[in-house]
Amino acid sequence: MTQMNSELIIETSQLAKTYKDKQALAGLDLRVPAGSIFGFLGRNGAGKTTTIKTLMGLLRSDSGSAAVFGIPVADADRSIEIRRRIGFVTEDKELYPYMTVEQIIAFTRPFFPKWRTDFERRYLDLFDLPPKRKVPDLSKGMRSKLMLLLAICRGADLLILDEPTDGLDPAAVEDVLRELVAIAASTETTMFFSSHQLSEVDRIADHIGIIDRGRMIVSGSLDDLKASHQRLQIILADSNPPAIRWPAGVDSIHQEGRVVSLLASHNLDAITAEAHSIPGATVECFPVTLKEIFLETIRSN
Amino acid sequence: MLWYKGWLETRLKLAVVLGVVSCFIIFLHSLPSGSGRVSVVALTGVPRISVVWICAFLAGAGIATQPGLQATKGLHGSMLFTLALPVSRFRLLAIRAAIGWLESTVAISIFCYGIWLRFPAFREAVTGVDMIEFSGILIASASALYFASVLLATFLDDQWRIWATMLVPFIFWQLTSRIPLPAFADILRATGNGSPLITHTMPWSTVAFSLALVAALFLAAYKIAESREY
Repeated sequence: MTQMNSELIIETSQLAKTYKDKQALAGLDLRVPAGSIFGFLGRNGAGKTTTIKTLMGLLRSDSGSAAVFGIPVADADRSIEIRRRIGFVTEDKELYPYMTVEQIIAFTRPFFPKWRTDFERRYLDLFDLPPKRKVPDLSKGMRSKLMLLLAICRGADLLILDEPTDGLDPAAVEDVLRELVAIAASTETTMFFSSHQLSEVDRIADHIGIIDRGRMIVSGSLDDLKASHQRLQIILADSNPPAIRWPAGVDSIHQEGRVVSLLASHNLDAITAEAHSIPGATVECFPVTLKEIFLETIRSN
Repeated sequence: MLWYKGWLETRLKLAVVLGVVSCFIIFLHSLPSGSGRVSVVALTGVPRISVVWICAFLAGAGIATQPGLQATKGLHGSMLFTLALPVSRFRLLAIRAAIGWLESTVAISIFCYGIWLRFPAFREAVTGVDMIEFSGILIASASALYFASVLLATFLDDQWRIWATMLVPFIFWQLTSRIPLPAFADILRATGNGSPLITHTMPWSTVAFSLALVAALFLAAYKIAESREY
C-alpha cells in the first residue's frame, strides 16, 4: 500500500476489478481533494458503481490500492471507521420495506455519533417526508429524499452519492442541489457523487472525473478543464474544407456548409492562430459546457 | 438497533410459528383417544423426532428467512444500506442468527410445555425436570439444524434454502440408519429413545456435540459472509 496523501479524501492507484469475463476497473487512478464537490461521470457500465462499492468495502479489488481518509479500504476492521465517517446514498435507493420513515431514522441514528438532529428536523420538513409512512408507500422521489436525509444527518466527513437526484421532480432537484452546496460550504463535507445529469454536475461540482472502460480519462478542477477547453467556430468563405494541418490539441472537427466547429482541449493559442490564417474566414471562440467536454472525451476515448 | 431491526423483520414469522405450534397442540388434544394417546406415542420416541423436525423446520426455514447477510436477491438493495453501516459483518451475522435462534428456542419451549401442561397423562409419566432436560436437548439439536440453515442462507436464496434445510434432518436420519454413529453424535436418538423422557438422564455429550456443530456451522457461515462481495 502506498502512502496516501493526507489532502486527498479518496485516493486509488491502479485499481483493477474483473467480474468473470468483464473488466470493470482497469487501473483506476482517482484522487478526490478534501472539501471538494467531485462529480464522477461515465457511461453506463463504465465502472462508477464498482468504484463506489469498492470504496465502501462491499467489493474487493483484484489489484491496486484504495484509501478513504488515508485508511486502506481493504482492511476490514478499519473500514468500519471509514463507514462511520461516510454518508452513502445507494443507486437503487432501497430501504427496509417493513420500516416507517421515523423507524428507519431511529434505527440509523445510533450508529453515527455525530448525527445532526438539527438537519433531521430541517430535512424532514423541507423534503415533506411523512414520519409514519412505510417505505414501500413512498414514491421513488420520496425514497431518494429519505436516503439523502439519512446520509446528510450522519454528520459525515464524506458524502458518497450514487445518482442522488434520481426520481426527483425538477423542483425537488433544485432543493437538493441547493442544500448539498450549502452543506458542503457550511460543514466542509467532501462530496463524491455520480450522476448522468451533466447539467446538475456542471452546476455544483468544482472537480470532476470522467471514467470510461474502468479507467480515469479526465480528472481535475472543473474550472481548469473549462479553461483548457474551447470551441472555435470558423465561418469559411466557401464550403470547401480548409487545407490545414491542425496542431495537437484539436479533439474534434465538424463542418456543415461554411461553418466549421472545432473543440480544442489544449494548445489553444496555436489552434486559434491557425484558424485565423485561413483566408477569408471569421473565427469566434466559445466556452464549452461540461456536457461537451464529457461527450467529446468519451467519443475520442 | 440491529436487534430492533431483526425483531421487526421476524416478528410476523414468529407469530405464525407460534400459531402453528398452538394449533398442533390443540389438534393433539382433540384426538379421540385424548391425552392417553399422546402420552403413549410420546413415550415411543417417534413423535419426538417429528417434534425436532417440525421445530427445526419452522425455526430454520420459517423464522430465519432473512439472516443479515443472506443471499436473497429481493432484499439486495436494502442489504447495501445495512452493509454500509459502520458495523462488522461478524456482528451483523451474529445478531441476526441470535434473534432467529432465540425465537426458535421460544417456539420449542412453548411446544414442550404446552404439551406437558395440556395433557395430565403426560405429566404423570414425565417429571418437570425430565421435561426441562428434554427441551434442553431438543433446543440443542434444533440449534444445530438452525445454524445449518444460517450457513445455507449465506449462499442460497430463500426458496432453495427452505428445501435444503428440510433435507438436512432427512439426510442425517438416513445417515444414522446406515452408518452407526457414536452415541454422542446421534442427535436424533438423543431426542428420541435416548432422550431424558425415557432414560431420565441428560445426554450431555450430545449437547456438547450439538454446540460444537453450531460453532463450526456459524464459523463457516461467517467465513462465507466475510468473503462475499455485494
